Amino acid sequence: MSWIREGELNLIEKLTANILKSGPMPKHVAFIMDGNRRYARKRQVERQEGHTQGFDKLAETLRWCLNLNILEVTVYAFSIENFKRSKDEVDGLMELAKQKFIKLLEEQENLEKHGVCIRVLGDLTLLPLDLQQHIARAVVATRSHNKCFLNVCFAYTSRHEIANAVREMAWGVEQGHIKSSDVSEALLSQCLYSSNSPNPDLLIRTSGEVRLSDFLLWQTSHSCLVFQSVLWPEYTFWNLCEAILQYQLNYRPLQKARDQHQEDQAIQQLEADRACVAELIQHCGNGNPLDAQRRQEALLQYTASREERVQDFLCALQHKRDSFFTDLTSQAALI
Amino acid sequence: MALVYEFVWRVLHVLLHVHRTLITWFRIRIRNWNSRLWPRALAALLMPIAVSFPNQKKFVPGTGKRVCRPYRWGADGKSLEKLPLHIGLLIAEEEPRYTDIANLVVWCMAVGISYVSVYDNQGVFRRNSSRLMGEIVRQQQELLGPEGSKQHSVDFLHNGTDKPGHQVSWCQSVLNVVSPDDGKPKIVQAAQRLCRAVEQREKTSKDIDVTALDSLLRESESPPDPELVLKFGPLESTLGFLPWHIRLTEFISLPSHVDVCYEDLFNALQRYASCEQRLGK
Repeated sequence: MSWIREGELNLIEKLTANILKSGPMPKHVAFIMDGNRRYARKRQVERQEGHTQGFDKLAETLRWCLNLNILEVTVYAFSIENFKRSKDEVDGLMELAKQKFIKLLEEQENLEKHGVCIRVLGDLTLLPLDLQQHIARAVVATRSHNKCFLNVCFAYTSRHEIANAVREMAWGVEQGHIKSSDVSEALLSQCLYSSNSPNPDLLIRTSGEVRLSDFLLWQTSHSCLVFQSVLWPEYTFWNLCEAILQYQLNYRPLQKARDQHQEDQAIQQLEADRACVAELIQHCGNGNPLDAQRRQEALLQYTASREERVQDFLCALQHKRDSFFTDLTSQAALI
Repeated sequence: MALVYEFVWRVLHVLLHVHRTLITWFRIRIRNWNSRLWPRALAALLMPIAVSFPNQKKFVPGTGKRVCRPYRWGADGKSLEKLPLHIGLLIAEEEPRYTDIANLVVWCMAVGISYVSVYDNQGVFRRNSSRLMGEIVRQQQELLGPEGSKQHSVDFLHNGTDKPGHQVSWCQSVLNVVSPDDGKPKIVQAAQRLCRAVEQREKTSKDIDVTALDSLLRESESPPDPELVLKFGPLESTLGFLPWHIRLTEFISLPSHVDVCYEDLFNALQRYASCEQRLGK
């Protein structure tokens, strides 16, 4: 399969994998695959060759992840900021992406066998139409697979993703699905492009840069960040093991911080619901204060109706997103 | 077989923990040894030679205090190719030491950094901001002396709930105490405002974009995005620090803020000065 290299680990790699798997393992790893161009300069080859090698390395890394039971991977393939590069380079990257997605579609049987679900996250309307259509076909074809998940961030930045999520919630308000008071941290998370995935446990950036470059800023607030100096096309199984070891060393304190954050979120939601109920009682009430039990009942009722509204809205949003891809594939079929 | 693997894994992790502890222990020991024994040894044994050393000011018989050279810190700042306008100090450790943090803030100001943010993921600094401020004023006096303190002043960025901040003559640096409430919850509040505007037909959903959200998250007195965050402690995470604002921030990790020295800070600043940001290009 072109996107996931065939092959098994050798004996030493297998032993190491088994040892690592005795401890907590990340279920979702995100990669910033940086260093393709520096690699090309180092090897004195064309930039495009650097990117091609970068893709091959991705295929190999996905194989290692599967061997290590890491079943969800998100990669930063192309940032909206990358459109600033020279036309030649951008066109080259778009062409590479197109070829890879076409190849992917030729391997449908393999994808089905391995249960690979491909998702593409980003503002796809910024891409050339033919690439959008290839992407849509790949996404629709693998939509129902559920053994392992590859999320490719293409024409993506985290700020655009968050702003888009807010826009979707505003759309929900416009359509009458939800009220503005239903907006919460949990709802915003559900409106991100990555809503079908849990937050990454581990974020790895290669090539020695120590910044996030507008990648998954919301989702990685409590993830383990590992910055490695190796250039992406030179990434090895041992680099991956090193990153996983870091994850394991940080596991307990990060889990504690995450749990604390969840608790704080739940308290904030409860307080927000209480405030809404108090306002409703004021509006509808006849001036007599309700006793504690009535207040509690009103709160439970309000929370239940809010959750129902939110569920309906999320269904409508999922439908809107699915239609975007399905419409693209029907367009492609007509051509 | 699984038990064997688990045993090896446990041994590996014990070794890693021991390794980490030893490194911390050695780091503190060497630093204490440097500041106390070395100058005393030099003074006692090599007095004639010590006199001819050009930097003999460094070898002050130790009480453990570092020599105050505010003029040097300012020059250090100017010597760097680039200095962050806004630095974040992310304390990812359980027990914050206010004196050490105050030192870091004073050094950052002295070096010429205009905005300093201090963050911990439990909101401890926010709840104890007056204690932190008091410590900073004290350390300012100690490290910069009375003259230096007049030249390098710090102002507290009001967070609405604080009592009036510390106002000294010339405002050169601004201190911002940040907590997890300034991160995702603020983004959610901005989102609610935008959705309320849509509810009241003042806006449509199509009006909402990165710029609209960004302008709501940037209040009038807000500092610019932090260019550099120094993370203190072994935890490798941003722990909820200002997710919207850190898209291009460089993260440099230091082992601990406890007994941190100026050289640690300056080395990190040098590292920052040498990094290259391509901004997508």
